[in-house]
Amino acid sequence: MPDMLAPAMAPSLALRLEVESFYYDEAALLDQRRYREWLDLFTDDTHYWMPVRRTKASNQLDGEFSRLGDMAFFDDNKAMLTMRVRRLETGYAWAEEPPSRTRHLVTNVRIVAAEGERITAESNFHLHRTRLASDENNWIGLRRDVLQRSDGLLRIAARHIFLEQTVLLAPNLSNFF
Amino acid sequence: MQTAVPLDYRSLVDARAGTVDRRIFSDAEIYRAEMERIFARCWNFMCHESQIPQAGDFFLNYIGEDSVIAVRDRKGGIGVFLNSCRHRGNAVCRAESGRVKSFLCTYHGWTYDLEGKLVGVPGYKGFYHEALERDKWGLIAARVENYKGFVFATMDPEAPALDDYLGEVGRVGLSMAAAHGDVAVVDGVQKNVLGCNWKLAVDNLFDWYHVQISHASAPMSGYLPKLPYKDEDQIVSLGEYGHAISGPRSTPEMREAAARASSEVPLFDERWRDTPEALAALGPVGVASRGHPNIFPNLWIASSGVQLCLRLPRGPFATEIWWFTLLDRNMSPERRRASVQRMNHTFGPAGMLEQDDGENWSQSTLATRSPVARRHPLNYSMNLGRGHIAETQPGLPSIETHINEHAQLWTYRAWADWMTAADWPALKRDHAMPAGVV
Repeated sequence: MPDMLAPAMAPSLALRLEVESFYYDEAALLDQRRYREWLDLFTDDTHYWMPVRRTKASNQLDGEFSRLGDMAFFDDNKAMLTMRVRRLETGYAWAEEPPSRTRHLVTNVRIVAAEGERITAESNFHLHRTRLASDENNWIGLRRDVLQRSDGLLRIAARHIFLEQTVLLAPNLSNFF
Repeated sequence: MQTAVPLDYRSLVDARAGTVDRRIFSDAEIYRAEMERIFARCWNFMCHESQIPQAGDFFLNYIGEDSVIAVRDRKGGIGVFLNSCRHRGNAVCRAESGRVKSFLCTYHGWTYDLEGKLVGVPGYKGFYHEALERDKWGLIAARVENYKGFVFATMDPEAPALDDYLGEVGRVGLSMAAAHGDVAVVDGVQKNVLGCNWKLAVDNLFDWYHVQISHASAPMSGYLPKLPYKDEDQIVSLGEYGHAISGPRSTPEMREAAARASSEVPLFDERWRDTPEALAALGPVGVASRGHPNIFPNLWIASSGVQLCLRLPRGPFATEIWWFTLLDRNMSPERRRASVQRMNHTFGPAGMLEQDDGENWSQSTLATRSPVARRHPLNYSMNLGRGHIAETQPGLPSIETHINEHAQLWTYRAWADWMTAADWPALKRDHAMPAGVV
């Protein structure tokens, strides 16, 4: 089997494994509610964005998502993300009090571009949440990240989250993607 | 097990005791009657005209549970049509917004133009022998009227003109949005669904009592500055047919201080209220009223007029929340960007304020279903019997007091009037008037 792997593939395979490991570790932090450590995975100038999605005719799919700068579900810089984490720490963030149970499944990791220390990666996610006795939500979609390597560590310089929902089938978005 | 439905709706809302029967939030028969007696009868908010500027532009919305299309025709007018083919009832429009030349039913190909006329019937000659009276089988049309760019529709031919329906309270409410300049909707209507009865969502928009507890995490996390308002100085305006505006008084000094307190785009920059245009449109009470207007039954004018929130019933136990955001077209790009981010961060399902609302309302709704809980009414007695209505500004009967539950109870009283009246003439004759002491 190793013989069948062209030597030229090795660097890209190593990169994909590195990015996958990064995502698995990130998912573990979120599911263990280690939000402060999760914040450390973002660059200081990050942008965390989830546009609004619409049902559009096939000839008007360029308007399927709201554009950057217009209305969005998330439109956060690092300070805003930090504020969200601080909110969860207050004990008065009722949407997460008692806290939800989440599981982040990350699959289909693809390195879309790699230029120097900047990598663009796409991944599919399934965020499963249960709350209280029987509340359940599922969010499935695509993340497109720009990952920046500095001092040998990957950081998220931009995360764009594209949900497979138009009317959001949930009472809130109190968890992270 | 069948629940006996009391036909006396007014007995379910006790304005003297300040109580509301929990069954109105969960009884299936009452919900069905609401669809007929409120939503199929009232003026429903459809969209802002800036959302559909060109011929063929459309936006899907609802009148109660009926899907409707708001569409700009070739003459520049706006029509609202039931989204249902007259042949087999299939939806003639499935995208939620966009641009079309006509509406083609994907079942058998009946085609309707932008004015709802049936213009295409496959087999009109061969199969219908030209006997089908096409001019009688156009899309079912609503009455459409527009107040300062806000498009409303009603399915009831007996409804009063929109202007009369809104009354001064409704007009002042919408003017709070229109007074921001040459306003247009920012692209991206946020929609999500909550497991609550629609009335409990509406009830909350007047509720300045919940802010300190429900939204405690917002100031604690540093998101929300200290509110520049006083709980002990509030204005409530009550209008016919259930419209109301309720919340804190805003003074020029508060507005200056709030604007100065923030470096970027202040959450509470309400200096637009200090313009002559605002005074002309709102009057002195409207300018001072930082409260939240509701256009009965379900349109909240939020964020001091920059956002509209529509609460759409989806059965007794579910409500869709739709957010529309309006900004002045002449705003600088920097200010526009900062304003959009502020809206994105405050309301909507990920909003620092709104996240924490939904579960309160869904848990309240749950406790209207179970047999013992539903025996006990909800309490709306805050300041009951102490609200003196005065009409210092013509057409705007108002109460000056502290935090209270007058507007909520007014909404439920109006709800009982709507549910009791057999038709519009009966409702016009017999509905609560805002006067005296409440």
